Amino acid sequence: MSQPRKHQRRGKSARPVAVARPEDWPARIQTLLANGKSRDAVEAAKQYLKHAPGPEAEALALQAYLARISALQGNGLHREAQAIGALVNERFPAHKAQVALLMQQSDVATGQFDSLLTALVTAEGQQRRALEAILSRGLTDPALLAAAPALPPEHPLKQTAQTVSELFAAVTSGPLPPGALAALDAIPRSSPLAPWKLLIRGFEAFYRRADETALANLKAIPADTAPGRLAQVLRRLLGATDLPAGPAGAAAALLSQVSGVRPLLETHLAQLSQALMDRNERRAMSAVQALLPLLQTASRALRSTFIISVLHHWYRQNLSPQPLLRLLPSTKRDPDILRLLALTLERPIWDEALEFWYSYVREATATGLLPRTGPERARVLLHMASIFPPEAETVFDLLAVDSEQELRQAIRVGDLPMYFDRGALLEQALAADPSSNVFRALVDHYEKWGDPKRAEAEAETWRRAHPQELEPLLHLIRVTERRGAVRKALNYLADAEAIDRVHPAVRQSRFRLLLAGAERRLKEHKAALARDDLRQLAQEPRANEGDHQVYLLALALLAAQQQGDTTATEHYIPLLQQAAANPVLQQLTLESISTTLKLPPPAAAPGKPSAAQILDGVARACDLFRALERPLTLSPALQKHVEQHLKSASAAQLHALCTGALWLQRPALAYHAAGQGLRLHDPLAYRFLLARGRALGMSYDFNVAERARACLRAARELASRMRDMDAVREASEALATIPHWDMFNAMLHGGPAALEEPPLTQEDITQLMAREGQSRSTPHFPAAPGNRKRRQPSQRRRPRRLLDDLFSMLPLEEFF
Amino acid sequence: MDPFAVLGLDDTADDAAVRAAYLRALQTSPPDRDPEGFQRIRAAYEALRDAESRMDLRLFGPAPLADLTELLEAFPEERRYVGPTPWLNLLREPRR
Repeated sequence: MSQPRKHQRRGKSARPVAVARPEDWPARIQTLLANGKSRDAVEAAKQYLKHAPGPEAEALALQAYLARISALQGNGLHREAQAIGALVNERFPAHKAQVALLMQQSDVATGQFDSLLTALVTAEGQQRRALEAILSRGLTDPALLAAAPALPPEHPLKQTAQTVSELFAAVTSGPLPPGALAALDAIPRSSPLAPWKLLIRGFEAFYRRADETALANLKAIPADTAPGRLAQVLRRLLGATDLPAGPAGAAAALLSQVSGVRPLLETHLAQLSQALMDRNERRAMSAVQALLPLLQTASRALRSTFIISVLHHWYRQNLSPQPLLRLLPSTKRDPDILRLLALTLERPIWDEALEFWYSYVREATATGLLPRTGPERARVLLHMASIFPPEAETVFDLLAVDSEQELRQAIRVGDLPMYFDRGALLEQALAADPSSNVFRALVDHYEKWGDPKRAEAEAETWRRAHPQELEPLLHLIRVTERRGAVRKALNYLADAEAIDRVHPAVRQSRFRLLLAGAERRLKEHKAALARDDLRQLAQEPRANEGDHQVYLLALALLAAQQQGDTTATEHYIPLLQQAAANPVLQQLTLESISTTLKLPPPAAAPGKPSAAQILDGVARACDLFRALERPLTLSPALQKHVEQHLKSASAAQLHALCTGALWLQRPALAYHAAGQGLRLHDPLAYRFLLARGRALGMSYDFNVAERARACLRAARELASRMRDMDAVREASEALATIPHWDMFNAMLHGGPAALEEPPLTQEDITQLMAREGQSRSTPHFPAAPGNRKRRQPSQRRRPRRLLDDLFSMLPLEEFF
Repeated sequence: MDPFAVLGLDDTADDAAVRAAYLRALQTSPPDRDPEGFQRIRAAYEALRDAESRMDLRLFGPAPLADLTELLEAFPEERRYVGPTPWLNLLREPRR
């Protein structure tokens, strides 16, 4: 007993037993045994036996050893239990029988049945039940019992063990035929194999997905038996929550063998979501690291979904992207990862997204993933062009150039990468696929980026490439008309009418062109010819739409006056009065046409119009001149008057004033009309929010940009609910032109920008509408919008070469 | 989530193959008996129905998931048969 300890403690270490008086030892040992500290009890008992040898010390030592053996058996450490049992037999030979009974359980668990089975064959009554209980707890494989030589072949227990062993193998290997478990019915509840019967039934129900039956069988298995341990694993697979903490070792491996990767994925995805929500980069990285190998066998589409979703949430939470990118299974040469990064970045950081798209095109072309020509290549290039800000000025400001020519020069000398040349991207797209989509984008590009000649030339190429399409012809009609080449425009119109005479856009072009022709003749003082054109125009179907008649009659009146034809003049005056039914509309129409065509101003209207007439007249004039794309002359005094009497305007009038004022670039009028509209609680309130946002976006006040964004976002949300996709598009386009200061702040401070603003709730929108409806103060609007000079950037900002920076520090071979 | 997987196609499938797979899938999930399954099949079909849609999916898909745990939908709950040995091995391991 005085040998050095062979078994050093793991985990909680044994404290040295320090009891001063021998008479205190027994109480101390009993306390340790009562607390389940069998190892400490053995140590104490050894000390007691050494210092006070005698029958009492010996009995206590035996008690401690037996408790230790039981504890080891309870933990499945049967070999250790057997070793201690042998030691006790040697030291206390008088108590061999007592130890032998206890050791039988370990013998059974280690496959040594012989002595127990020999005894069992002849045992009766209580002794038989005790032996069966040991067998029931210790039997870890029924096949061992079925093969035990100590039982004769005809012994019922041996035969039952054979049946149970075969059924256990079958139920864990595949679906069973109906009635396969009938043989289990013969096993009584008192049999040592009864727990195995319940386990097999539990397995069968588990694989049949009869979970309640499975759980009922598993719960009936005693926990201290071997099947009881397996029942715990099965119950965990069935989602039981009343089990001890997570399984480890063989149990964990078995769980994933049976249930695949799903449980692990579930755990790690939940951890990742929580870590992202908490913005805990370290935990998020660890979850991604655990998830990547699990997804290795998943489809490519699924892996892409995972990566883009993680990138998306990562950026939304403003976490630093570099550590994540290092984890991703990619190099700078993996086209798919480049594409996913580009897609993630293109909303908040368009220039860096362009860089990733450009790298994608390069690598995907090199690997053959992207053809060198054809619609697919054109689609990518068109997409790249589409992520530029809509206004050329914004792009030029960011890249510190003044024009597209200067931009191209900077690219030529290597100051800027080529993907910043939007026109070149579109030209490459056209070379890859000369389809109408690409022509449309290219013409639109040159139109908006200040090169109308190039736009017209591209439209002409488009017309030649697709001679049966109306769209290039309609475009050419418009641009030639705009630069005064009416004859050429009429030729294009004839081509368009040859394709589709009744197309609404062709009819509209025809009406507009004829109108332009009549106006030109009037301007050139060819009143007779102008009146001929007007007679022809009066036959056009569009002549009777809206207030078009008012415009035509005003032109006819001015032509008659120019000719000095008093009869005709007196004929047209009442006709015009009748058509307009409003002196303000009549006067505004005459004044505006006279101003545009440089004709003598008309006589002032007699009498003072009422406030209602002014509101109605200005609203209708806005609609009329906007529809005809003709300049409307609205005096500041008249505008002021309208602004002061908006309270009595109807929703329709307010709407006309909002759209008309924005078209006329009178943001103050649009701002006030929209504010009044919001006070009406009209179903089309989103239109007023849209106008309010657009007007605020034209303000010089730095601090109203966020107000403008809020109005436009709310308008977009409400319009989307009303399925008004035109309004959604208009709001999105307007939003794209208003700086997002929060995003800029994030960029200035070095962090990535938030990918998306949080969605607006109905409550947010209601509050915003109430706030805007009540706000009476007028922001500072430019007096003459459109003449603003582009600000000169004080410092040149060079686009960050994020891609190179990121990957330059990576050992590329480590990633696939 | 992966429309090719939903319709049991590989990513080289053409219009005819997509349509045939769609009609086959409808037989197992008709809208009146399995509305959710039908929705999934319909969405997959819309994403793949013509060459242009498939190109867009290839170039600009997939959309990020609002909730990362939606990925689990692609991993149905499994109950694999592993035979008796792993279970019996578990009984030979000491308890912790």
